[in-house]
Amino acid sequence: MYKFLLCLKYLRTRYLAFVCIISIMLGVATLIVVNSVMSGFSNKLKDRLRGVLADVIVETDHFGGFDLHPDLLEDRIRRSPAGKYVDTIAPSVEVVGTVQFQFRGMNIVKPIKLLGVDPVRQTKVGGFGNYLTRQKVLPAPSFELTSEALQLFDKNVRLESMLEPPPPPVSSTAKKDSDFLGPEPVLIDDPKAIPLPPVPDANLPEFQDPKPIGIIVGHSLAHFRYKNPDTGVIEEVPGLRPGDHVMIATLAANEMRPVWGTYVVTDYFKSEMSEYDSQFIYMDLPDLQRLRKMGDRVTHLQIKVTDDCPKGYMFVKPNVSNEIQKLFGKFEARAATWEDHQGPLLAAIDIERGILNLLLFMIVGVAGFSILAIFTMIVSEKIRDIGILKSLGASNHGVMGIFVWYAFLLGIVGCAAGTAMGLGITENINEIETFVNEQTGQQLFDRSVYYFDKIPTNIEVSTVLIVNAGALLVAVMSSFLPAFRAARLRPIQALRFE
Amino acid sequence: MLKAEQLCKTYRRNADSVQVLNGISLTVRDGEFLSIVGASGSGKSTLLHVLGTLDSPDSGTISVDGKRIDNISNRERDRIRNATFGYVFQFYHLLPELSAYDNALMPAYISESFFGWMKNRKQWRKRVDELFERVGLSHRTTHKPRELSGGEMQRCAIARALLQRPRVVLADEPTGNLDTEKGNEIMSLLHDLNRHDGVTIVMVTHNLEMAATTHRTIRISSGRIAEEKGPTFRPRILSAVS
Repeated sequence: MYKFLLCLKYLRTRYLAFVCIISIMLGVATLIVVNSVMSGFSNKLKDRLRGVLADVIVETDHFGGFDLHPDLLEDRIRRSPAGKYVDTIAPSVEVVGTVQFQFRGMNIVKPIKLLGVDPVRQTKVGGFGNYLTRQKVLPAPSFELTSEALQLFDKNVRLESMLEPPPPPVSSTAKKDSDFLGPEPVLIDDPKAIPLPPVPDANLPEFQDPKPIGIIVGHSLAHFRYKNPDTGVIEEVPGLRPGDHVMIATLAANEMRPVWGTYVVTDYFKSEMSEYDSQFIYMDLPDLQRLRKMGDRVTHLQIKVTDDCPKGYMFVKPNVSNEIQKLFGKFEARAATWEDHQGPLLAAIDIERGILNLLLFMIVGVAGFSILAIFTMIVSEKIRDIGILKSLGASNHGVMGIFVWYAFLLGIVGCAAGTAMGLGITENINEIETFVNEQTGQQLFDRSVYYFDKIPTNIEVSTVLIVNAGALLVAVMSSFLPAFRAARLRPIQALRFE
Repeated sequence: MLKAEQLCKTYRRNADSVQVLNGISLTVRDGEFLSIVGASGSGKSTLLHVLGTLDSPDSGTISVDGKRIDNISNRERDRIRNATFGYVFQFYHLLPELSAYDNALMPAYISESFFGWMKNRKQWRKRVDELFERVGLSHRTTHKPRELSGGEMQRCAIARALLQRPRVVLADEPTGNLDTEKGNEIMSLLHDLNRHDGVTIVMVTHNLEMAATTHRTIRISSGRIAEEKGPTFRPRILSAVS
């Protein structure tokens, strides 16, 4: 009984104790804020990293694409054991290239990644349509020129294309791979399977009076960011507007040979993942196939798995991707989940968070040492009282209990205050950031580094609980040593202490 | 009956050793008021502490009603400190954070668990009210020790010592820090408690006049009993009871 009485009395009368409470409070608050912000960043980054990636991606290293027609590939996947989990398959072509356009008299050339996709299917597997900034025609985005683009389009632009088509690609030797499974492939150069695209003639009116072909350009690729010297604000200036025409050059499918064409920007693609936004140019799959002279071949299959497919935290659908991998020869194609693609980055986020937590928990460790120091002082100050209590029959355990309970109480108060403070700061972190910004002129959160306009936060109840439990444990543990010293005092020693 | 036999105690500091108690034997009868006098450093305070289990003897035995208390477990020793002995110190030794009331209740807070306290608190409060009445401190129960005078603090300490109805009250120079007038008031209170309530008191003092008013006086010198006066005490009431 006296333990509680004295704890409460000491709590109310010792100003030193407030130092302990404040150090615990600051530790807990910092951990909660940092964890919430880190978790927010990490979630947002995971979303970004996921971006346009499908659940499972099958790709071939063959520059000319899969030897099989995409429909046959799809058929093969659907008939496999993993087939029941396959929801949608979107074939696509991905290839490196360059884009060239005029901006204020300058000739701008940039490296790009050129993606030929089926816009509707691509939206299903990777949310492609969700990232378009101009057209809100979900769920069926298209590469058709928007009215805006058509209005701005300069009809006098000469739309040129590489006129002479190279011969269609010959099949690779992958089908002879001993790992090869599945039915006998139907080769694309078999004229019965797929008719070759008509060979365009330089004099055909189709190319003399061509219809402009739309492309969708990554937002950062199309915009120049610069800092306004007067206001210090990052501003974006569009370098490419819808209706502007660009030259895109890439390589033909079957041989090292440049191909190019003139295309018209219809829309921007803004996934807020700078890697994508600054490199990607989307065009309609048949347009890219025609540009690269690759018939109906594709280089990638983007697979969306069904919702009932068992999911986990990381590397969610290895079984589906493993099953699909079995359908192809070892070197013919690679099947991997999106997490496989972004694995190192995802792991880096988690490692970063773990290390930060470890370092920040040292703040709580410092709070623990301040408790140790302050309790040693309190015990010294209270030596006479300890002697009195012992002469009145208080046991060693009882005296120890006073100080351990006292630390526990301080811990509880500190944790409660720290949790309140941490949650408060986390909830209002953007307002606080704005305030600090205004007062000091220092931008804490540089919006030009991240594409977030707000600091993302995510409060996890489990993290808050773990932080609190850890801080309490540290508080109680660090009181043990002084409490033990107090308990061991002999009453006569203590009473003589004046 | 508190009985000590052949108590020896040596304090060692590095190479020096001081024999503080050198074979003291002593019997305190129930209801007696015994005073111990002696020069500073003669070992009288140590004797009192050893008698009250606050310190342990190097050799010799102490017993209460024939039961030894010098070689018992910590748990039993804590019980004995709590209920068998009541201590009154020269410097009062009250806890500064607590009111006079809570200070006097401290032995009960210590002996009772949380639930025990909840159950018995009324009885305890009644007991403390009686004691405060008895020592003449009823008007200052809620004051903190620093707001009390020396005499009042000592009255509070006496109330605390009596709370558990101890067998023996051990008083270590209870008037040592008070002026003559207040000291005499405390002495008459102790006499009163001894005479009317049958409280057994062992008191260490420097004041020979005060010592002379007690039933029996022992003078300690170099850790031995040098002289014994009395006894003027006739345990007639208690012998009639027992």
